[in-house]
Amino acid sequence: MIENMKTAAASGNFLQVVGTPLMIIIACVLLYLAIVKKFEPLLLLPIAFGMLLSNLPIFKDSSAIMMHTEYFTDPQYMLDGKYIDVAYICAHGGLLDLLYLGVKLGIYPPLIFLGIGAMTDFGPLIANPKSILLGAAAQLGVFTTFLGALFLGALFPDSIGFGVKEASSIGIIGGADGPTAIYVTKTLAPALLPAIAIAAYSYMALIPVIQPPLMKMMTTKKERQVVMEQLRPVSRTEKIVFPIVVTIVVALIVPDAIALVGMLMLGNLMRETGIVDRLSKTAQNGLMNVITIFLGLTVGATATAESFLSGRTLGIIALGLLAFCFSTIGGLLFGKIMCKLTGGKVNPLIGSAGVSAVPMAARVSQVVGQKENPSNFLLMHAMGPNVAGVIGSAVAAGVFLSMFAK
Amino acid sequence: MSVLGALGEGIMVTVVGLCIVFAVLVILMFVLMLMKKIFYKETKVETTQETEQKVQPVFEEDDEISEHELIAVLTAAIAASLNTSTYNLKIKSYKRISSNAPAWNRAGITETINSRY
Repeated sequence: MIENMKTAAASGNFLQVVGTPLMIIIACVLLYLAIVKKFEPLLLLPIAFGMLLSNLPIFKDSSAIMMHTEYFTDPQYMLDGKYIDVAYICAHGGLLDLLYLGVKLGIYPPLIFLGIGAMTDFGPLIANPKSILLGAAAQLGVFTTFLGALFLGALFPDSIGFGVKEASSIGIIGGADGPTAIYVTKTLAPALLPAIAIAAYSYMALIPVIQPPLMKMMTTKKERQVVMEQLRPVSRTEKIVFPIVVTIVVALIVPDAIALVGMLMLGNLMRETGIVDRLSKTAQNGLMNVITIFLGLTVGATATAESFLSGRTLGIIALGLLAFCFSTIGGLLFGKIMCKLTGGKVNPLIGSAGVSAVPMAARVSQVVGQKENPSNFLLMHAMGPNVAGVIGSAVAAGVFLSMFAK
Repeated sequence: MSVLGALGEGIMVTVVGLCIVFAVLVILMFVLMLMKKIFYKETKVETTQETEQKVQPVFEEDDEISEHELIAVLTAAIAASLNTSTYNLKIKSYKRISSNAPAWNRAGITETINSRY
Protein backbone atom coordinates (compact mmCIF):
# COMPACT_ATOMS: atom_id res chain seq x y z
CA MET A 1 0.00 0.00 0.00
CA ILE A 2 2.66 2.47 1.10
CA GLU A 3 4.89 1.34 -1.76
CA ASN A 4 2.04 2.01 -4.10
CA MET A 5 1.59 5.46 -2.74
CA LYS A 6 5.28 6.22 -3.01
CA THR A 7 5.47 5.23 -6.66
CA ALA A 8 2.30 7.15 -7.32
CA ALA A 9 3.66 10.27 -5.66
CA ALA A 10 6.95 9.92 -7.48
CA SER A 11 5.29 9.69 -10.86
CA GLY A 12 3.02 12.62 -10.02
CA ASN A 13 0.13 10.25 -10.23
CA PHE A 14 -1.59 11.49 -7.10
CA LEU A 15 -4.64 13.45 -7.89
CA GLN A 16 -3.62 17.03 -7.20
CA VAL A 17 -0.61 16.37 -5.03
CA VAL A 18 -0.03 19.90 -3.79
CA GLY A 19 -3.48 21.42 -4.14
CA THR A 20 -5.34 18.72 -2.29
CA PRO A 21 -4.38 19.58 1.30
CA LEU A 22 -4.95 23.26 0.58
CA MET A 23 -8.40 22.57 -0.85
CA ILE A 24 -9.28 20.43 2.16
CA ILE A 25 -8.29 23.33 4.40
CA ILE A 26 -10.40 25.76 2.37
CA ALA A 27 -13.35 23.36 2.57
CA CYS A 28 -12.94 23.16 6.33
CA VAL A 29 -12.79 26.95 6.63
CA LEU A 30 -16.02 27.21 4.66
CA LEU A 31 -17.58 24.53 6.87
CA TYR A 32 -16.52 26.61 9.88
CA LEU A 33 -18.11 29.73 8.40
CA ALA A 34 -21.31 27.82 7.71
CA ILE A 35 -21.57 26.01 11.03
CA VAL A 36 -20.17 28.50 13.53
CA LYS A 37 -20.71 31.84 11.81
CA LYS A 38 -23.96 30.73 10.13
CA PHE A 39 -23.15 32.36 6.76
CA GLU A 40 -25.99 31.11 4.51
CA PRO A 41 -25.56 27.66 6.10
CA LEU A 42 -28.26 26.10 3.90
CA LEU A 43 -25.99 26.49 0.91
CA LEU A 44 -22.53 26.93 2.26
CA LEU A 45 -22.62 23.66 4.19
CA PRO A 46 -23.36 21.45 1.17
CA ILE A 47 -21.00 23.52 -0.99
CA ALA A 48 -18.14 23.12 1.46
CA PHE A 49 -18.77 19.41 1.89
CA GLY A 50 -18.95 18.90 -1.85
CA MET A 51 -15.59 20.61 -2.07
CA LEU A 52 -14.22 18.23 0.51
CA LEU A 53 -15.60 15.18 -1.32
CA SER A 54 -14.06 16.06 -4.65
CA ASN A 55 -10.64 16.86 -3.17
CA LEU A 56 -10.07 13.72 -1.14
CA PRO A 57 -6.65 12.19 -1.74
CA ILE A 58 -7.65 9.32 -4.01
CA PHE A 59 -5.58 7.69 -6.74
CA LYS A 60 -6.07 8.99 -10.21
CA ASP A 61 -8.44 6.82 -12.26
CA SER A 62 -9.77 5.18 -9.12
CA SER A 63 -13.39 4.16 -9.45
CA ALA A 64 -14.04 5.76 -6.05
CA ILE A 65 -13.70 9.28 -7.43
CA MET A 66 -17.13 10.88 -7.24
CA MET A 67 -16.58 13.91 -9.41
CA HIS A 68 -14.74 14.19 -12.72
CA THR A 69 -14.76 17.85 -13.69
CA GLU A 70 -12.85 16.98 -16.85
CA TYR A 71 -15.92 15.21 -18.26
CA PHE A 72 -17.67 18.56 -18.33
CA THR A 73 -14.87 20.88 -19.40
CA ASP A 74 -12.23 18.85 -21.28
CA PRO A 75 -13.07 18.64 -25.02
CA GLN A 76 -11.38 15.24 -25.10
CA TYR A 77 -14.35 13.73 -23.25
CA MET A 78 -17.01 15.62 -25.15
CA LEU A 79 -19.00 14.89 -28.26
CA ASP A 80 -17.49 16.85 -31.17
CA GLY A 81 -15.38 18.57 -28.50
CA LYS A 82 -18.37 20.76 -27.63
CA TYR A 83 -21.26 18.90 -26.04
CA ILE A 84 -21.08 16.85 -22.86
CA ASP A 85 -21.34 13.13 -23.46
CA VAL A 86 -24.16 12.08 -21.15
CA ALA A 87 -23.86 8.38 -22.02
CA TYR A 88 -20.15 8.39 -21.16
CA ILE A 89 -20.80 10.22 -17.90
CA CYS A 90 -23.51 7.74 -16.95
CA ALA A 91 -21.18 4.85 -17.66
CA HIS A 92 -18.05 6.16 -15.96
CA GLY A 93 -19.11 8.96 -13.64
CA GLY A 94 -19.44 8.91 -9.88
CA LEU A 95 -22.41 10.04 -7.81
CA LEU A 96 -21.56 13.70 -7.98
CA ASP A 97 -21.03 13.56 -11.75
CA LEU A 98 -24.56 12.28 -12.13
CA LEU A 99 -26.00 14.91 -9.82
CA TYR A 100 -23.97 17.61 -11.55
CA LEU A 101 -25.79 16.82 -14.78
CA GLY A 102 -28.70 18.72 -13.22
CA VAL A 103 -26.57 21.85 -13.06
CA LYS A 104 -24.92 21.35 -16.43
CA LEU A 105 -28.21 20.71 -18.19
CA GLY A 106 -29.73 23.76 -16.51
CA ILE A 107 -32.32 21.89 -14.45
CA TYR A 108 -31.66 22.95 -10.86
CA PRO A 109 -31.60 26.77 -11.04
CA PRO A 110 -35.04 27.05 -12.68
CA LEU A 111 -36.45 24.59 -10.14
CA ILE A 112 -35.04 26.71 -7.33
CA PHE A 113 -36.78 29.65 -8.98
CA LEU A 114 -40.02 27.68 -8.89
CA GLY A 115 -39.64 27.44 -5.13
CA ILE A 116 -38.68 31.11 -4.78
CA GLY A 117 -41.76 32.05 -6.80
CA ALA A 118 -43.94 29.98 -4.51
CA MET A 119 -42.46 31.78 -1.51
CA THR A 120 -42.59 35.33 -2.89
CA ASP A 121 -45.41 37.77 -2.41
CA PHE A 122 -45.39 40.22 -5.30
CA GLY A 123 -48.10 42.28 -3.57
CA PRO A 124 -45.84 45.21 -2.53
CA LEU A 125 -44.58 45.45 -6.10
CA ILE A 126 -48.07 45.39 -7.59
CA ALA A 127 -49.19 48.04 -5.12
CA ASN A 128 -46.31 50.34 -6.04
CA PRO A 129 -45.36 49.72 -9.69
CA LYS A 130 -42.73 52.47 -9.71
CA SER A 131 -40.59 50.49 -7.32
CA ILE A 132 -39.91 48.02 -10.13
CA LEU A 133 -37.50 50.60 -11.58
CA LEU A 134 -35.31 50.31 -8.50
CA GLY A 135 -34.95 46.62 -9.28
CA ALA A 136 -33.64 47.61 -12.71
CA ALA A 137 -31.30 50.29 -11.36
CA ALA A 138 -29.71 47.81 -8.99
CA GLN A 139 -28.49 45.82 -12.01
CA LEU A 140 -25.92 48.58 -12.47
CA GLY A 141 -23.47 46.47 -10.48
CA VAL A 142 -23.88 43.58 -12.92
CA PHE A 143 -22.75 45.66 -15.85
CA THR A 144 -20.05 47.68 -14.07
CA THR A 145 -18.52 44.44 -12.86
CA PHE A 146 -18.78 43.03 -16.35
CA LEU A 147 -16.71 46.00 -17.49
CA GLY A 148 -14.34 45.60 -14.56
CA ALA A 149 -13.79 41.92 -15.33
CA LEU A 150 -13.14 42.64 -19.02
CA PHE A 151 -10.67 45.33 -18.04
CA LEU A 152 -8.88 43.04 -15.61
CA GLY A 153 -8.85 40.27 -18.23
CA ALA A 154 -7.33 42.57 -20.85
CA LEU A 155 -4.79 43.87 -18.35
CA PHE A 156 -3.53 40.39 -17.42
CA PRO A 157 -4.31 38.32 -20.51
CA ASP A 158 -2.08 35.42 -19.42
CA SER A 159 -2.79 34.91 -15.75
CA ILE A 160 -6.47 35.96 -15.64
CA GLY A 161 -7.63 36.43 -19.20
CA PHE A 162 -11.35 36.94 -18.64
CA GLY A 163 -13.19 37.16 -21.97
CA VAL A 164 -16.75 38.39 -22.45
CA LYS A 165 -18.22 35.06 -21.35
CA GLU A 166 -16.27 34.95 -18.11
CA ALA A 167 -16.94 38.65 -17.52
CA SER A 168 -20.70 38.13 -17.91
CA SER A 169 -20.66 35.29 -15.43
CA ILE A 170 -18.73 37.37 -12.91
CA GLY A 171 -20.90 40.42 -13.47
CA ILE A 172 -24.06 38.51 -12.74
CA ILE A 173 -22.81 38.03 -9.15
CA GLY A 174 -24.00 41.63 -8.74
CA GLY A 175 -27.56 40.42 -9.24
CA ALA A 176 -27.16 38.88 -5.77
CA ASP A 177 -29.07 35.89 -6.99
CA GLY A 178 -27.39 32.50 -6.58
CA PRO A 179 -29.43 30.40 -9.02
CA THR A 180 -29.20 33.06 -11.74
CA ALA A 181 -25.44 33.29 -11.33
CA ILE A 182 -25.15 29.51 -11.56
CA TYR A 183 -27.44 29.34 -14.57
CA VAL A 184 -25.37 31.88 -16.51
CA THR A 185 -22.02 30.50 -15.43
CA LYS A 186 -22.73 26.87 -16.25
CA THR A 187 -23.46 27.95 -19.81
CA LEU A 188 -20.86 30.64 -20.38
CA ALA A 189 -17.91 29.79 -18.14
CA PRO A 190 -18.31 26.39 -16.47
CA ALA A 191 -14.72 26.40 -15.22
CA LEU A 192 -15.47 29.40 -12.99
CA LEU A 193 -18.64 27.90 -11.50
CA PRO A 194 -17.38 27.06 -8.00
CA ALA A 195 -15.61 30.38 -7.46
CA ILE A 196 -18.61 32.37 -8.69
CA ALA A 197 -21.14 30.39 -6.71
CA ILE A 198 -19.10 30.66 -3.54
CA ALA A 199 -18.50 34.39 -4.05
CA ALA A 200 -22.20 35.03 -4.76
CA TYR A 201 -23.48 33.12 -1.74
CA SER A 202 -20.82 34.45 0.63
CA TYR A 203 -21.50 38.06 -0.29
CA MET A 204 -25.24 37.47 -0.02
CA ALA A 205 -24.65 36.34 3.54
CA LEU A 206 -22.60 39.48 4.10
CA ILE A 207 -25.26 41.91 2.82
CA PRO A 208 -26.03 43.21 6.33
CA VAL A 209 -22.34 44.12 6.59
CA ILE A 210 -21.75 45.44 3.05
CA GLN A 211 -24.83 47.58 2.55
CA PRO A 212 -25.35 49.83 5.61
CA PRO A 213 -22.11 51.88 5.26
CA LEU A 214 -22.87 52.52 1.59
CA MET A 215 -26.44 53.47 2.46
CA LYS A 216 -25.26 55.98 5.03
CA MET A 217 -22.65 57.36 2.66
CA MET A 218 -25.04 57.85 -0.24
CA THR A 219 -28.03 59.38 1.54
CA THR A 220 -28.59 62.35 3.81
CA LYS A 221 -30.10 62.02 7.24
CA LYS A 222 -33.22 63.79 6.07
CA GLU A 223 -33.69 61.38 3.17
CA ARG A 224 -33.31 58.38 5.45
CA GLN A 225 -36.07 59.71 7.66
CA VAL A 226 -38.67 59.91 4.90
CA VAL A 227 -41.82 58.07 5.88
CA MET A 228 -43.61 56.48 2.96
CA GLU A 229 -47.32 56.26 2.35
CA GLN A 230 -49.16 53.09 3.26
CA LEU A 231 -49.39 50.67 0.33
CA ARG A 232 -52.81 50.03 -1.12
CA PRO A 233 -54.32 46.59 -0.67
CA VAL A 234 -53.87 44.33 -3.69
CA SER A 235 -56.70 42.16 -4.93
CA ARG A 236 -56.40 38.44 -5.62
CA THR A 237 -57.16 38.99 -9.31
CA GLU A 238 -54.17 41.30 -9.66
CA LYS A 239 -51.91 38.82 -7.92
CA ILE A 240 -53.04 36.05 -10.27
CA VAL A 241 -52.82 38.09 -13.47
CA PHE A 242 -49.36 39.43 -12.58
CA PRO A 243 -47.33 36.20 -13.07
CA ILE A 244 -49.09 35.42 -16.33
CA VAL A 245 -48.48 38.90 -17.76
CA VAL A 246 -44.85 39.01 -16.64
CA THR A 247 -44.17 35.66 -18.31
CA ILE A 248 -45.60 36.86 -21.60
CA VAL A 249 -43.83 40.24 -21.53
CA VAL A 250 -40.44 38.77 -20.63
CA ALA A 251 -40.77 36.01 -23.23
CA LEU A 252 -41.46 38.59 -25.92
CA ILE A 253 -38.39 40.68 -25.15
CA VAL A 254 -35.75 38.40 -23.58
CA PRO A 255 -36.65 34.80 -24.47
CA ASP A 256 -33.41 33.55 -22.92
CA ALA A 257 -34.58 34.60 -19.48
CA ILE A 258 -37.75 32.59 -19.70
CA ALA A 259 -36.41 29.40 -18.14
CA LEU A 260 -35.83 31.37 -14.95
CA VAL A 261 -38.66 33.90 -15.06
CA GLY A 262 -41.19 31.36 -16.34
CA MET A 263 -40.54 28.99 -13.45
CA LEU A 264 -40.52 31.87 -10.97
CA MET A 265 -43.92 32.95 -12.19
CA LEU A 266 -45.31 29.40 -12.28
CA GLY A 267 -44.34 29.04 -8.63
CA ASN A 268 -45.97 32.36 -7.83
CA LEU A 269 -49.14 31.44 -9.72
CA MET A 270 -49.37 28.19 -7.75
CA ARG A 271 -49.12 30.24 -4.59
CA GLU A 272 -51.56 32.97 -5.46
CA THR A 273 -54.34 30.89 -6.98
CA GLY A 274 -54.58 28.89 -3.78
CA ILE A 275 -56.15 25.99 -5.65
CA VAL A 276 -52.98 23.90 -5.77
CA ASP A 277 -51.91 24.31 -2.21
CA ARG A 278 -50.14 20.94 -2.18
CA LEU A 279 -48.01 21.77 -5.20
CA SER A 280 -47.18 25.18 -3.85
CA LYS A 281 -46.15 23.74 -0.47
CA THR A 282 -44.01 21.09 -2.16
CA ALA A 283 -42.32 23.66 -4.38
CA GLN A 284 -41.39 25.89 -1.47
CA ASN A 285 -40.39 23.16 0.95
CA GLY A 286 -39.62 19.62 -0.22
CA LEU A 287 -38.57 20.28 -3.78
CA MET A 288 -36.64 23.41 -2.89
CA ASN A 289 -34.70 21.60 -0.16
CA VAL A 290 -33.87 18.62 -2.36
CA ILE A 291 -32.59 20.84 -5.14
CA THR A 292 -30.65 22.98 -2.70
CA ILE A 293 -28.77 19.91 -1.50
CA PHE A 294 -28.01 18.72 -5.02
CA LEU A 295 -27.03 22.16 -6.21
CA GLY A 296 -24.82 23.03 -3.27
CA LEU A 297 -23.09 19.67 -3.19
CA THR A 298 -22.29 19.53 -6.89
CA VAL A 299 -21.28 23.17 -7.22
CA GLY A 300 -18.88 22.65 -4.35
CA ALA A 301 -17.63 19.46 -5.95
CA THR A 302 -16.55 21.29 -9.09
CA ALA A 303 -14.02 23.18 -6.98
CA THR A 304 -11.07 20.92 -7.65
CA ALA A 305 -7.59 22.21 -6.97
CA GLU A 306 -6.73 22.81 -10.65
CA SER A 307 -9.78 24.89 -11.31
CA PHE A 308 -10.08 26.70 -7.99
CA LEU A 309 -6.51 27.55 -6.96
CA SER A 310 -5.66 30.30 -9.39
CA GLY A 311 -5.42 34.06 -9.73
CA ARG A 312 -8.81 33.95 -11.38
CA THR A 313 -10.51 32.95 -8.14
CA LEU A 314 -8.97 35.91 -6.32
CA GLY A 315 -10.09 38.17 -9.16
CA ILE A 316 -13.63 36.81 -8.92
CA ILE A 317 -13.78 37.34 -5.16
CA ALA A 318 -12.62 40.95 -5.52
CA LEU A 319 -14.93 41.65 -8.46
CA GLY A 320 -17.85 40.04 -6.63
CA LEU A 321 -17.54 42.55 -3.82
CA LEU A 322 -17.36 45.35 -6.37
CA ALA A 323 -20.52 43.97 -7.99
CA PHE A 324 -22.47 44.03 -4.73
CA CYS A 325 -21.30 47.56 -3.91
CA PHE A 326 -22.20 48.95 -7.32
CA SER A 327 -25.60 47.26 -7.32
CA THR A 328 -26.34 48.84 -3.96
CA ILE A 329 -25.11 52.23 -5.18
CA GLY A 330 -27.15 51.96 -8.40
CA GLY A 331 -30.32 51.28 -6.43
CA LEU A 332 -29.62 54.09 -3.96
CA LEU A 333 -28.87 56.61 -6.71
CA PHE A 334 -32.12 55.81 -8.46
CA GLY A 335 -33.88 55.96 -5.11
CA LYS A 336 -32.53 59.46 -4.63
CA ILE A 337 -33.74 60.48 -8.08
CA MET A 338 -37.19 59.10 -7.30
CA CYS A 339 -37.12 60.90 -3.97
CA LYS A 340 -36.40 64.22 -5.74
CA LEU A 341 -38.98 63.66 -8.47
CA THR A 342 -41.78 62.74 -6.10
CA GLY A 343 -40.98 65.65 -3.83
CA GLY A 344 -39.70 63.51 -0.99
CA LYS A 345 -42.31 60.77 -0.96
CA VAL A 346 -39.86 57.95 -1.62
CA ASN A 347 -37.26 56.96 0.91
CA PRO A 348 -34.06 56.29 -1.10
CA LEU A 349 -33.11 53.54 1.34
CA ILE A 350 -35.52 51.18 -0.39
CA GLY A 351 -33.30 51.48 -3.49
CA SER A 352 -30.60 49.35 -1.99
CA ALA A 353 -33.15 46.54 -1.69
CA GLY A 354 -33.13 46.37 -5.48
CA VAL A 355 -30.35 43.79 -5.23
CA SER A 356 -32.37 40.65 -5.27
CA ALA A 357 -31.20 38.89 -2.11
CA VAL A 358 -34.74 38.29 -0.81
CA PRO A 359 -35.57 39.21 1.92
CA MET A 360 -32.21 40.15 3.40
CA ALA A 361 -31.71 43.36 1.42
CA ALA A 362 -35.23 44.55 2.33
CA ARG A 363 -34.56 43.86 5.98
CA VAL A 364 -31.39 45.91 5.82
CA SER A 365 -33.38 48.85 4.41
CA GLN A 366 -35.85 48.44 7.25
CA VAL A 367 -33.16 48.35 9.93
CA VAL A 368 -31.18 51.30 8.58
CA GLY A 369 -34.38 53.33 8.13
CA GLN A 370 -35.58 52.54 11.62
CA LYS A 371 -32.30 53.68 13.13
CA GLU A 372 -32.99 57.19 11.85
CA ASN A 373 -36.67 57.20 12.60
CA PRO A 374 -37.88 54.51 15.00
CA SER A 375 -41.49 54.82 13.85
CA ASN A 376 -40.62 54.20 10.21
CA PHE A 377 -41.52 50.87 8.62
CA LEU A 378 -39.85 50.46 5.25
CA LEU A 379 -39.95 46.67 5.07
CA MET A 380 -42.98 46.29 2.80
CA HIS A 381 -41.90 49.23 0.65
CA ALA A 382 -38.49 47.65 0.27
CA MET A 383 -39.98 44.28 -0.69
CA GLY A 384 -41.20 45.85 -3.95
CA PRO A 385 -37.74 46.66 -5.32
CA ASN A 386 -36.47 43.46 -3.74
CA VAL A 387 -38.70 41.14 -5.75
CA ALA A 388 -38.29 43.39 -8.79
CA GLY A 389 -34.57 42.75 -8.41
CA VAL A 390 -35.18 39.03 -8.89
CA ILE A 391 -36.92 39.73 -12.19
CA GLY A 392 -34.27 42.31 -13.11
CA SER A 393 -31.32 40.01 -12.55
CA ALA A 394 -33.03 37.19 -14.45
CA VAL A 395 -33.52 39.59 -17.36
CA ALA A 396 -29.87 40.69 -17.15
CA ALA A 397 -28.93 37.00 -17.22
CA GLY A 398 -31.11 36.55 -20.29
CA VAL A 399 -29.36 39.47 -21.97
CA PHE A 400 -25.93 37.92 -21.42
CA LEU A 401 -27.11 34.49 -22.52
CA SER A 402 -28.68 35.82 -25.70
CA MET A 403 -25.50 37.76 -26.54
CA PHE A 404 -22.81 35.23 -25.72
CA ALA A 405 -24.24 31.69 -25.55
CA LYS A 406 -24.05 29.83 -28.80
CA MET B 1 -7.68 41.66 -26.96
CA SER B 2 -6.31 45.14 -26.26
CA VAL B 3 -7.46 46.99 -23.18
CA LEU B 4 -9.20 49.65 -25.24
CA GLY B 5 -10.85 47.11 -27.51
CA ALA B 6 -12.12 45.16 -24.51
CA LEU B 7 -13.47 48.29 -22.87
CA GLY B 8 -15.11 49.45 -26.08
CA GLU B 9 -16.96 46.17 -26.49
CA GLY B 10 -17.77 46.08 -22.79
CA ILE B 11 -19.28 49.54 -22.79
CA MET B 12 -21.44 48.67 -25.77
CA VAL B 13 -22.71 45.52 -24.05
CA THR B 14 -23.31 47.52 -20.86
CA VAL B 15 -25.36 50.19 -22.59
CA VAL B 16 -27.41 47.71 -24.58
CA GLY B 17 -27.85 45.44 -21.56
CA LEU B 18 -28.95 48.16 -19.17
CA CYS B 19 -31.34 49.51 -21.80
CA ILE B 20 -32.96 46.10 -22.24
CA VAL B 21 -33.26 45.54 -18.49
CA PHE B 22 -34.84 48.96 -18.04
CA ALA B 23 -37.09 48.48 -21.07
CA VAL B 24 -38.47 45.20 -19.75
CA LEU B 25 -39.10 46.56 -16.28
CA VAL B 26 -40.56 49.86 -17.55
CA ILE B 27 -42.97 47.88 -19.70
CA LEU B 28 -43.88 45.79 -16.68
CA MET B 29 -44.41 48.98 -14.71
CA PHE B 30 -46.92 50.25 -17.28
CA VAL B 31 -48.60 46.84 -17.32
CA LEU B 32 -48.93 47.04 -13.54
CA MET B 33 -50.39 50.54 -13.77
CA LEU B 34 -52.84 49.31 -16.36
CA MET B 35 -53.73 46.40 -14.11
CA LYS B 36 -54.49 48.85 -11.34
CA LYS B 37 -56.87 50.71 -13.67
CA ILE B 38 -58.64 47.51 -14.68
CA PHE B 39 -58.80 45.44 -11.55
CA TYR B 40 -58.51 47.80 -8.62
CA LYS B 41 -61.58 49.60 -7.48
CA GLU B 42 -61.26 51.80 -4.47
CA THR B 43 -63.80 49.95 -2.41
CA LYS B 44 -64.34 52.27 0.43
CA VAL B 45 -67.70 50.80 1.29
CA GLU B 46 -68.43 51.49 4.89
CA THR B 47 -68.87 47.99 6.22
CA THR B 48 -67.52 49.09 9.50
CA GLN B 49 -67.58 46.44 12.08
CA GLU B 50 -67.77 48.05 15.40
CA THR B 51 -65.27 46.16 17.37
CA GLU B 52 -64.26 47.08 20.79
CA GLN B 53 -61.33 45.42 22.29
CA LYS B 54 -59.42 45.79 25.38
CA VAL B 55 -55.89 46.19 24.26
CA GLN B 56 -52.97 45.23 26.32
CA PRO B 57 -49.86 47.08 25.26
CA VAL B 58 -46.80 45.15 26.26
CA PHE B 59 -44.29 47.93 26.29
CA GLU B 60 -44.00 51.17 28.11
CA GLU B 61 -44.86 53.77 25.54
CA ASP B 62 -43.35 57.15 25.15
CA ASP B 63 -45.78 59.84 26.04
CA GLU B 64 -44.68 61.58 22.91
CA ILE B 65 -46.08 58.93 20.57
CA SER B 66 -48.97 60.71 19.05
CA GLU B 67 -52.43 59.37 19.55
CA HIS B 68 -52.92 58.91 15.80
CA GLU B 69 -49.97 56.61 15.57
CA LEU B 70 -51.10 54.58 18.53
CA ILE B 71 -54.54 54.17 17.03
CA ALA B 72 -53.01 53.13 13.74
CA VAL B 73 -50.96 50.48 15.49
CA LEU B 74 -53.95 49.22 17.46
CA THR B 75 -56.08 49.07 14.31
CA ALA B 76 -53.41 47.12 12.49
CA ALA B 77 -52.99 44.71 15.37
CA ILE B 78 -56.71 44.07 15.66
CA ALA B 79 -57.05 43.71 11.90
CA ALA B 80 -54.27 41.14 11.88
CA SER B 81 -55.75 39.15 14.72
CA LEU B 82 -59.26 39.24 13.26
CA ASN B 83 -57.95 38.45 9.79
CA THR B 84 -59.66 41.41 8.19
CA SER B 85 -58.67 44.69 6.60
CA THR B 86 -58.07 47.85 8.55
CA TYR B 87 -60.72 49.45 6.37
CA ASN B 88 -63.41 47.45 8.18
CA LEU B 89 -62.46 48.61 11.61
CA LYS B 90 -63.09 51.72 13.55
CA ILE B 91 -61.49 52.22 16.90
CA LYS B 92 -63.90 54.02 19.14
CA SER B 93 -61.97 53.94 22.33
CA TYR B 94 -59.08 52.22 23.90
CA LYS B 95 -58.12 51.70 27.44
CA ARG B 96 -54.91 50.51 28.88
CA ILE B 97 -55.09 47.52 31.15
CA SER B 98 -52.14 46.75 33.29
CA SER B 99 -49.92 43.98 32.14
CA ASN B 100 -50.00 40.88 34.29
CA ALA B 101 -46.91 39.35 32.72
CA PRO B 102 -43.89 39.18 35.01
CA ALA B 103 -41.17 41.72 34.39
CA TRP B 104 -38.78 39.01 33.25
CA ASN B 105 -41.19 37.85 30.56
CA ARG B 106 -41.53 41.38 29.29
CA ALA B 107 -37.78 41.87 29.22
CA GLY B 108 -37.47 38.58 27.34
CA ILE B 109 -39.97 39.65 24.71
CA THR B 110 -38.20 42.97 24.19
CA GLU B 111 -34.91 41.22 23.79
CA THR B 112 -36.27 38.71 21.30
CA ILE B 113 -37.75 41.47 19.17
CA ASN B 114 -34.57 43.51 19.29
CA SER B 115 -32.34 40.59 18.41
CA ARG B 116 -34.15 39.97 15.14
CA TYR B 117 -33.85 42.12 12.11
